[in-house]
Amino acid sequence: MTESAFREGHVDADSFRIRYMEAGQGIPLVHLHGAGGLRLTPSHELLARRYRVIAFEMPGFGNSPVNTRTETMPEMASTIVRAIDKLGLDSFNLMGTSFGGKAALWVALQATQRVPALVLEAPAAIRQEGAAPPSGTAEEIARQLYAHPERLTSIPPIDPAMRAKTQPLVERLLGPRRDADLESRLQDLATPTLVLFGTLDRVIAPAMGRFYKDLMPSCHLVFVYDAAHAISTDRPEAFTEVVTDFLERHEAFVISRAETVIHP
Amino acid sequence: MKVSFFETVRYQAPGPLPSEWPVPSGVYDPEAGARAYRGMIERLELVEDLGFDWVSVSEHHYSPRILTPSPIVSAAFLAAHLKKIKIALLGPIVPQSNPVRVAEEIAMLDTMAQGRLVVGLLRGTSNESLTYDLNPAEARERTDEGMELVLKAWTEPQPFGWQGRHFRYRTISIWPRPLQQPHPPTYALGTSRESCDFAARHRLGCGVSYGSFESVGRATRYYREQCAHYGWQPSPEQVIYRANMLLADTDEEAQDALRKLPGQAPFSMRPGVRDAMMTLDSRNIAGEARAPIVSGALPTTFVGGPDTVVEQVRRCREVVGAGVLDLSLHPPGSSEIEPLMRALELFGKKVLPRIRDI
Repeated sequence: MTESAFREGHVDADSFRIRYMEAGQGIPLVHLHGAGGLRLTPSHELLARRYRVIAFEMPGFGNSPVNTRTETMPEMASTIVRAIDKLGLDSFNLMGTSFGGKAALWVALQATQRVPALVLEAPAAIRQEGAAPPSGTAEEIARQLYAHPERLTSIPPIDPAMRAKTQPLVERLLGPRRDADLESRLQDLATPTLVLFGTLDRVIAPAMGRFYKDLMPSCHLVFVYDAAHAISTDRPEAFTEVVTDFLERHEAFVISRAETVIHP
Repeated sequence: MKVSFFETVRYQAPGPLPSEWPVPSGVYDPEAGARAYRGMIERLELVEDLGFDWVSVSEHHYSPRILTPSPIVSAAFLAAHLKKIKIALLGPIVPQSNPVRVAEEIAMLDTMAQGRLVVGLLRGTSNESLTYDLNPAEARERTDEGMELVLKAWTEPQPFGWQGRHFRYRTISIWPRPLQQPHPPTYALGTSRESCDFAARHRLGCGVSYGSFESVGRATRYYREQCAHYGWQPSPEQVIYRANMLLADTDEEAQDALRKLPGQAPFSMRPGVRDAMMTLDSRNIAGEARAPIVSGALPTTFVGGPDTVVEQVRRCREVVGAGVLDLSLHPPGSSEIEPLMRALELFGKKVLPRIRDI
């Protein structure tokens, strides 16, 4: 891949200094990372060709100080909404990955009118019995996150020490495997929502996808074949295509625009 | 041992046939075709009476050798005419099908047949890639993805989209779903490592065909190892072995018939096509490369009188581990009905009752 178009920025909100990576122009697309922290994937680069992508690093992740202050996911969400305000974003599409999927749902609940569409990549807001965030050595974590780690030219950096640092925060904010408060609110969240699961997800069972579909009034579920938990790294082109199509057309994305004429 | 009768529809051409595949459809005789399908039903009523467990149908195109280009149509027709026997759809060629349609038709047929359906999914033989312009180099990947989508369409309760490599759908939600839940007994057919892996990972059966007991035994052994890796053990009935059987009253008679068999498949691809296909179509047995079968005759692994054949079936159970034999009982390469009917009667009376306990 050519050099990344992403540039680093910082914004202050709720007395946190929040790092973000930004690239591209057009309608803003805010991304909230998974429990492993902010890591740019090939999908970020592809999405930045169409959108102004702003990927936040939630306070407590990366090199930011340990976050012992944020108690709950709704609190984290309100900090993110303030950071978004500071950046002057009025309306923005929202995308959350795994742990960040739950954060994104709370952001959407708190700023409903400002979010035209929501994308959840392997969201962790509803989890099967016994589900646990990936753990172990960098290699073991990679085997849990990626469908074919052996095919990746470079595995995005995974730092087990960093995961250990954020573990209390992740556990605190993720909450129970079924969150009755969140689930009852989702029934009124009419935001067009796309839920994506990789068919090989070994962290969150792809079957969890059906609960979102069942709960949310305008939810679409798509399985990405031969992708594991890190869909946007495993199959960036497939991921970007369906996300872009959904952000552009919302529920009308079910109408095919594929052309099948071979010769005129 | 359970026994399945492999029904190929015996088309008896009124005149000589060209030997090249595809066989020109202009030489097809509609009356002979109608006779062949009538004969099929009469024969299968006997097969059912003789106590066979299944009748199987397969998908082949552009030749009179196996006259079932749409096995789902054959299976539906058989399900309507036969009352007890299970209908084994072995099976739709997945890479050249719409997998959602496959899932729908199978669910529909399983329901109409009151749960008598057995399903095999497969890549198909080399020449079939030519039927609907399938790139042979993509066939394996399309098969794996298509099979996974069929299973998902049968089992996912909410409408879903599929963002695949070869297939893309934005919304799928099939009606009806199969009567047998979560789906009919399903097999991945083939000796390849990929096929065995797929079957093991999805807890499906495995179907192998035609090779010697030793060579297909390597595939079924690999399949069992993979099942163990995924933490389960297949039942004997989850291994099907399809083979040619030359059964006669005596060993001498059977051996005599075997010597008369042609060494070539009845309808071959042109040499230039065959050679190019050999380079594009990769095949393996449990990971060990094997040449695609593009013009050779399929081997006959059961040959003899009833006593000999019973012993061969016993050995097949030991070496291959198959719990279902899917048998083609007509002399390979022949369209004669008479020898088939003799073999069928003989098998029903002298062999079938003796292999039940194997």
